[in-house]
Amino acid sequence: MTTARDTIIDALDVESFLLCESEPEARELIAKLMQSLGLARHVIVSLDFNGPGAHFRVRAYLNKPGDNYTWLKE
Amino acid sequence: MKILLAPLDPVHDAGLKLIKRKLEVLGYPCVLLPPDITVEEIGEAALAEKADLIFVGRTVGYGVEQLFQRVKDVLTRQGVFGKIRVAIGGMAVNDELAKSLGFEGGYGPHTSIEEIHALIERNPELARHITHPVKNKPEFPFPHDYQVKIPETKKYLDQIVDGLMDWVTDKTSPGVRRAQITESQLRTVQGSVENYTALPFTREYLAQSDPSVADFFQKHVCPPSVRQITQDEVTAYLRRIDLAKRNFHPRVLQHDRTKPLVFIQYGTGCPMMDGMHIKVAESWGADGVLHFDPAWGARTEGLMDGFLTNAEDGTPVTYANLSLIKRSLDQATLWSVRAHRGLNTPEIAVLAGNLGAGLTKINIVYGSICGGTDPARLTVDGVEAMRIAARYKMPFDIPTNEELAGVPPHKAFAGMLIMAQLGRRLGAKPILKPLLCHGPYLMVQGLMEQNYVDYNFAKIRALQTIADFPIWPGEPIGFMTHDEEKVKSAATTALHAALCASLGVDAVTTASTDEAFSRGPITSAGRAAALHGIEETFRFFGQSDIVPGPHVKDWTEQLISGINRTLQAVAASPSFVDALYAGLLGNKEDGVYPGRAGKNSVIAQTSLKSGNFGLAPVTMRKNSGPAGKSPRPPAIAARRCR
Repeated sequence: MTTARDTIIDALDVESFLLCESEPEARELIAKLMQSLGLARHVIVSLDFNGPGAHFRVRAYLNKPGDNYTWLKE
Repeated sequence: MKILLAPLDPVHDAGLKLIKRKLEVLGYPCVLLPPDITVEEIGEAALAEKADLIFVGRTVGYGVEQLFQRVKDVLTRQGVFGKIRVAIGGMAVNDELAKSLGFEGGYGPHTSIEEIHALIERNPELARHITHPVKNKPEFPFPHDYQVKIPETKKYLDQIVDGLMDWVTDKTSPGVRRAQITESQLRTVQGSVENYTALPFTREYLAQSDPSVADFFQKHVCPPSVRQITQDEVTAYLRRIDLAKRNFHPRVLQHDRTKPLVFIQYGTGCPMMDGMHIKVAESWGADGVLHFDPAWGARTEGLMDGFLTNAEDGTPVTYANLSLIKRSLDQATLWSVRAHRGLNTPEIAVLAGNLGAGLTKINIVYGSICGGTDPARLTVDGVEAMRIAARYKMPFDIPTNEELAGVPPHKAFAGMLIMAQLGRRLGAKPILKPLLCHGPYLMVQGLMEQNYVDYNFAKIRALQTIADFPIWPGEPIGFMTHDEEKVKSAATTALHAALCASLGVDAVTTASTDEAFSRGPITSAGRAAALHGIEETFRFFGQSDIVPGPHVKDWTEQLISGINRTLQAVAASPSFVDALYAGLLGNKEDGVYPGRAGKNSVIAQTSLKSGNFGLAPVTMRKNSGPAGKSPRPPAIAARRCR
């Protein structure tokens, strides 16, 4: 394994609360956030918009079943 | 040895009070200083009391490093440090920090009294069972007498099982034949995951298999979404598993109860990903794991071999894959390989038994009306699988996930009890597996509108009233109550587990927090999160039980009555198999129907004593013909897939 990222078994989840005015806006902001983290391929696991913004968990799979796993590389 | 306990907080000294009480139980004289004192006063008190050891505690976390550095400086100036041993503790303290500052040791919020004892005596062995816990494999299931206690229920069950046994007497199937071939081959094969050689599948075996299995062995074609794992990948994986085993400190979830044991299901598609998930689950307290195979595997005659990974749900059952999983398991982990619902039921039971899986899963009813397999075929294969389970001393569980399709619980339970009684007749140990779910029938009837406790309570109480079989709710508990939000999901799993603990069941199968998330594979972090929730919930309830509401008594009686009505109807049917086709244990109106895979593949046997395979000319089978009496053909080596 060459990087810390390579040690992740399967997925990296990001959970937080962002300020926004609607669920579509939250989705847009989450996409931009993940893009900025270099995790363009992601999926929103949960998203709950209310009041000041959205509580969300978004996931980027780094190793999916059947892949050539990064954690098996020397 | 006299111990001085000194709080460095203005008010918080509960931790030191707790340690004092426990150390005094161990026989150590202790002196606890009051809060709001200076370091100089601690040094003076230690000298005056002629203490052998000082524990200095600081609850508040910020700035502890600088604070304890000053403690060391002051005590050194006083001639205390170096003369009297000093250890430190607090919310932000651990042994590593303490030793880096030159103290005897350190304790934090999760330090046990055994570890403090070991520190005092400078004897790590005193805390070895805490720092290096060893879990022993439990005898599972727990003892039961397997007796049906309600005479009416027993009468129907015995009638049904008598008829079922008569029905299968002169029948066999390609699945049964393959199981016999495989069992015979396994007697001579020594599998090694380090240098794997595929099982020597024969033409005789392939004659009993689907063309896709023959293509795999003869033309090296894998099914779509499947690829072969290289031996290099296996070697690298085994190194990682060995590392994980080296650092393994298993947790115990049950707090002060002995049951329920906690199982998780795996079947990500890849045996190596499964293995890593298993290591996570074992480390976070799971007692057992269940192997789930892909749906296509259940509808294919014959098994492939080699290390195969599937890009979709369900990990292919092969001798190699199961061997790799076995190599990944801790010695204490209970392992179940499900055989129950498809065309390879007896053969998978053989592989599971041969590889030392402690458990398997067989339910003819579920597999017939919900799993897509023809009832006649699965009845023949299911009975054989139960015989195999008995021979290998593998208890088998009987899932009732037909409830998820809409079958009412009383019908699902009637089918489950028939399987249990059949299993006992065949000398096996059956385990009832009611589904604790918010299933379609319960939703439509509004039986869980007020809570998730009462109807689940009634289900388990009904089964406990009827018979003393082991009960292992699944699969997983809380099905259809989970949410994509992680905390909600962990909470519902943990609370269902607590309910099961109250009901005294033997085990539970639990979901990860990704249970309701369907847009990607389950994650290892989701498994750990769910087990955290269970651990805390078991800690919260301890031995306190959940008390059922007022509806439970009536619902329990209604369930028992419904079960008996269903059993009566099945007993009156021409045969158990006819009852399955007729929908007496679940019909189209409920949401299920007889499966078609393996239809017309049952073979009538004429004479098992004649020395041949006992196969008569095919009367019911329309697919490929039986192998007949041909001499044992040459082996076909498995090779890499294209």
